[in-house]
Amino acid sequence: MMKIRLVLITTIIAVLLSSCKFDRKGDQGKFRITATTNIMADGVRSLVGDSAIVTPLMAVGVDPHLYKASQRDLDLLFDADLVVYHGLHLEGKMVEVLHKFSRTHEVIDVGAFLPPTLLISSPAFANTVDPHIWFDVKLWSLAMEQLKDAILEKKPEWTDYVNTNWEKYQTQLTALDQYTAHEIKKITNQGQVLITAHDAFSYFGKAYQIDVKGLQGLSTLSEPGLNDVSKLVNFIIERNIKAIFIEQSISPKAIKAVVEGCKRKGHDVVLAGPLYTDSLGEPEGPAGTYLGMVKTNVDAIVQNLKSK
Amino acid sequence: MSFDPNAFIIILTGSMIAISCGLLGVFLMLRKMAMTGDAISHAVLPGIVIAFLISGSRHGLAMVIGAGLVGIIATVFIEYLSNKVKLQSDASIGITFTSLFAIGIIMITFLANQIDLDQDCVLYGEIAYVPIDLWITGSGTIMGPRVTYLSLINLTLVSLFIYLFFKELKISTFDKEFAATIGLSTVGVNYGLMGMVSYTTVSSFEAVGAILVVALMVVPPATAFLWTKNLKRLIQLTVALGILASFLGYYLAFFLNSSIAGAMASVAGFFFFLSVILNRKQIPAIKKKLSKMKVA
Repeated sequence: MMKIRLVLITTIIAVLLSSCKFDRKGDQGKFRITATTNIMADGVRSLVGDSAIVTPLMAVGVDPHLYKASQRDLDLLFDADLVVYHGLHLEGKMVEVLHKFSRTHEVIDVGAFLPPTLLISSPAFANTVDPHIWFDVKLWSLAMEQLKDAILEKKPEWTDYVNTNWEKYQTQLTALDQYTAHEIKKITNQGQVLITAHDAFSYFGKAYQIDVKGLQGLSTLSEPGLNDVSKLVNFIIERNIKAIFIEQSISPKAIKAVVEGCKRKGHDVVLAGPLYTDSLGEPEGPAGTYLGMVKTNVDAIVQNLKSK
Repeated sequence: MSFDPNAFIIILTGSMIAISCGLLGVFLMLRKMAMTGDAISHAVLPGIVIAFLISGSRHGLAMVIGAGLVGIIATVFIEYLSNKVKLQSDASIGITFTSLFAIGIIMITFLANQIDLDQDCVLYGEIAYVPIDLWITGSGTIMGPRVTYLSLINLTLVSLFIYLFFKELKISTFDKEFAATIGLSTVGVNYGLMGMVSYTTVSSFEAVGAILVVALMVVPPATAFLWTKNLKRLIQLTVALGILASFLGYYLAFFLNSSIAGAMASVAGFFFFLSVILNRKQIPAIKKKLSKMKVA
């Protein structure tokens, strides 16, 4: 019985002590929006401008896959006036939690706005879709337009301001989409293929009609088999591919094996990149915004794959 | 300062999981099977893949069932290897979890280009989200934090199991041959214990993530073991250390703005090293005592 008493006493002490909350200082009164990824936060910021404080949960360079919540993140979700998440299982298990959170808080699931016909699902498992929608600028634009409407539903008083922002953003997105299509055509004309470590560019390939190959699967746990590497080496030589790309959040080890393999067979392939995939670059850098990130990627791809 | 229900829920849930894991951890440690929790964290991978193939979704419930079943298979296998094949328990654990994990990796490689699937993204929970992960009934009533209920059920079952089978657990842990001579079947209680371990780890992984569960199963019992060799005291001290770790860990995470699970596990580790240092100072005294006993 001693055991039970000890448990009870300790638990009561813990309960009493845990009752305190340390007040934090911050901008009082301003509308607060918490977004999960920093890409999503950038999208929201482009819409709401300075009428709200937009905070991403995931810092720059964090793979949404490997993201671990900190104590502050819980407060960011709880204290936010609005939570925006990407959905489509990008945030893993957190998507389930946020879906439930929408019962008690204002939550927007951006992925849910997109019609399933526009999403790329795996051939064998129709229920699982590729979440990397932001690589198709048109699709991102569509998602942002829906997000704008959803935000205005909650904050009708922002209508004029947000609509002005949206018009400006939409123009930028259209220009970016045309730029990307135009640039990518330069290399597809030369029969080039985009080869990366991780399978994040399906939407990009579909939208801009470039063949995309990934060495590694969607799950970061899977490792490329020896056969995959040698197949890819042969493919690169056959198609005379100039460069293959590493990505910011993925270990380049496996893809380096491909470069070595090509070298041994007398084909020099450049290891280029890193491309930005699941996170923006440093805030002040060229890839610090969504627009900048896409442009940086496109320029890197075209520059490295184009024949001189 | 004001009342913070989130902090309360997290500390309460963390404490309950710490107690469940600690209670089982004491017996695992004494049986030289402390790494079973870690082993299960890896071994469940094929269960997740199979659950996905059958259900076609990556939803939590299917994943927990798949992981739970394979967790039980893993513990049965570990028991079998160490008891029937007479392999050392650490080797039994090592063989079981590496083989199962490897099978899981091969399965994922077949599916690799199509889906994003691993324990981290479909099974492991995060203790920070316990307050917002609500239990919503079919009719739409919000019942409060789901994980807190689950860990309460878990704690009740684990406590009940240890309370009811305390004698059997004690004898089979310390003296298997004696258990056999008095006609006590250790097979049932062994599988019972391993089943409980499997259930607790998978349910807690889903609730608060892997590292915290593995740490809470090993570190508080090991710390307590430095202070006492009496089983009942060991259990009491483990429970107290578990609660203290979740309580102090939460506030450490608060001040460092870090992962809560990481902070809780670190606090547990800190207590362990503190105990090592404090105990080392006492070693000469203990040795003296021992030599006197021998003379006597």
